[in-house]
Amino acid sequence: MKNKLDFIQNLDKDIKEAVTENFYNQDNELVLKINLKDLKKICLYFFKDLKFYLLSAFAADESKNDGNKFKIRYIFSHSSIDLFIIIETETGGTFPSLSEEIPALNWYEREMKDLFGLIPEGHPDPRPLMLFPENYPQDIQNMHPLRKDYPFNFRPEFKKYGEYNYNKDVKGDGVFNILVGPVHAGIIEPGHFRFSMSGEPILQLEIRHFWKHRGIEKIAEGKTISEALSLAEKISGDHCVAHSLAFLAAAEKILNIKIPENALYIRTIYAELERLLCNINDFAWLFQDAGYSFGAQETFVLKEDIMELNKYLSGSRFNKGILSLGGINTCGNIDNLRKNVLKEKLSNFNKRYLNLKKMLLNSSTIGERFEETGYINKETILDLCALGFAARASGVPSDTRKEHPYLIYDKLRFNSKVLKNRDVFARLLIRFYDIEESFSIITQCLNELPAEDINKSGREYADNNVNNTGNNISKNKSKNDRCIIAKDDKIDAAQQLSTNRLRSWALGYCESQRGNIMHFVELDEKSRISRWKIRDPSFHNWQLIEFAVIGDIIADFPIVNKSLNLSYAGNDL
Amino acid sequence: MFNIIKTRIKEGIKTKKINIEDIKKDNIVIFNEELKNKLLNKSKNKNFTNNISVRVVDSGSCNACLHEMSALTNPYYDMERFGFKFVAAPKHADVLMVAGCVARNMYSALLKTYENVPYPKFVVAIGDCAMNGGVFKDSYATLGGIQDKLTVDILIKGCPPEPIDILAGLLLAFGK
Repeated sequence: MKNKLDFIQNLDKDIKEAVTENFYNQDNELVLKINLKDLKKICLYFFKDLKFYLLSAFAADESKNDGNKFKIRYIFSHSSIDLFIIIETETGGTFPSLSEEIPALNWYEREMKDLFGLIPEGHPDPRPLMLFPENYPQDIQNMHPLRKDYPFNFRPEFKKYGEYNYNKDVKGDGVFNILVGPVHAGIIEPGHFRFSMSGEPILQLEIRHFWKHRGIEKIAEGKTISEALSLAEKISGDHCVAHSLAFLAAAEKILNIKIPENALYIRTIYAELERLLCNINDFAWLFQDAGYSFGAQETFVLKEDIMELNKYLSGSRFNKGILSLGGINTCGNIDNLRKNVLKEKLSNFNKRYLNLKKMLLNSSTIGERFEETGYINKETILDLCALGFAARASGVPSDTRKEHPYLIYDKLRFNSKVLKNRDVFARLLIRFYDIEESFSIITQCLNELPAEDINKSGREYADNNVNNTGNNISKNKSKNDRCIIAKDDKIDAAQQLSTNRLRSWALGYCESQRGNIMHFVELDEKSRISRWKIRDPSFHNWQLIEFAVIGDIIADFPIVNKSLNLSYAGNDL
Repeated sequence: MFNIIKTRIKEGIKTKKINIEDIKKDNIVIFNEELKNKLLNKSKNKNFTNNISVRVVDSGSCNACLHEMSALTNPYYDMERFGFKFVAAPKHADVLMVAGCVARNMYSALLKTYENVPYPKFVVAIGDCAMNGGVFKDSYATLGGIQDKLTVDILIKGCPPEPIDILAGLLLAFGK
């Protein structure tokens, strides 16, 4: 299985026969086209027999005048080989549901049902997912926003349309329910949690999300790449660098743009700074929720200092707006002065972090709250294809930086630690390892940072490019005034561009702090977005929480929740 | 732990100073007539001066605004020194702080929270999306910005607005 190129030769014979067409869209993207009737067999072969895990599943509307046609793609991957298997099939309106066998597909299939009107046949839980029956018309045949014939700004009248059916509550003597949300007591994003309790222990938890569904994928359709880039920063605010990186990776692959060496290093530094910031933030909240205010405030101070450093480096406390197609914007450049400041600050942060870590590990109250709380079994992780540190704390390796190296991660020396303890404490320990690796990776990058014009190819590209908006403008204006292109020129340039193109779609991926981010980007012939599927790791990992809290007491729920610290915004889209 | 305490005693933490006169006013828009008059006449604010309870609702933000709001409680900004505090229930609140565009699914929850804040109440909208929906304004899944749905008294611009701006906005409107 190690060899990418004859991977297809080593598959089972009847699987090979079922594949009607196969080709490599990229070095590591193997596309298998199959008929709808073989879908179940082939997906199960990869998931059950070859132990591949699901990374994403989504539909795309390819309807022409002669009726409805949808492409459904399933993306599988494996931790020991740098290869994505993309299973591609076509349907007119229905497809077989695989949620019973691959539980990770549950939400994906419901999403396809809501947004495209495709019916997953035999789905065990066909309730609406993001188009709430309270707010969206359910009986109208054409309330399927991601279909191409749905007008992008059409809003049905706002009124109450129906009721949502919650799971059956647990019944029995002394069993009671606690309903929480969607508006929470703290400064938290909206989500609804229903606990069934018997005394203190939790018997069942049902979560309901997608309160913040904003329709990002539909808004992006028809937008230029730089317009979509500003959307990518708003998918999940604390992960804006990771999402922009994943989106740009896909766009750069499609347009065949080479990124200068120096920009690769700087992108890595920003990605790691973001990981560091998010990990420190989680660390602080875990302190806070365990009632250890002193440690929490001290860690919040450290977080604030990192954000101030971000502001010094890029002018934005979240490093927004530093990435551009083909490179880095000048506001994000790391010159010698910034390099020295960064080094100095990092060694200071590292020292303070080590003090905090020592304090936490020496505290018995913290240990008692965190150990043996929020168990997530390995089987649950594998079934739900959980990603990132949540998987690594339960003994399943999951780190895109190792499995599918991007940027310069294949040149860097770092470990991706896997623990077997499965509890909140293990997830905290994994964070500690991640924080230490982040410090070491940034130092390595700074030491090896090549000095060259960071935006060389980016600028060359921008000069010929149609998508010359956003942050590039001010910079290019001083050089020449080519950024304002007349309308006809625009189309010409775009067509020219499309002839250089090798492919119309690509996968963009990166490892965010929470886990793998997977973007599928498809451009039309004018280099505008025609389909953009965003998948935040939270979309997989939220489902873990229903299993993690069972048997714990309700007071531990905030700790279990914070130990996974998932994004509502990235999940809801 | 002693190391940390030692450094803190030695160095301390500098809370950010804010002077009302120095506040950059480009990022703060005040719509409420009463508050505006107060600023013009430099008269004292009758509404709960220096004792404001804030309730936060996220109606469709990307969570960057929330990070900045929760930063207000850290030792650098420490908004409690001015008498502002975050409360857990709308019934206890004087100010409703809303972030993000109005997602269709959140609208009824937002309205319910708003109705439960006792009078006199103020709405502070945080961030560019809150203004008119920002990039999400045309989406099928949103109902525009908070401005379209509730009477907004103060708007703090930025994507996300920095904590110092949020604090400045609150001070400008509700400070002494």
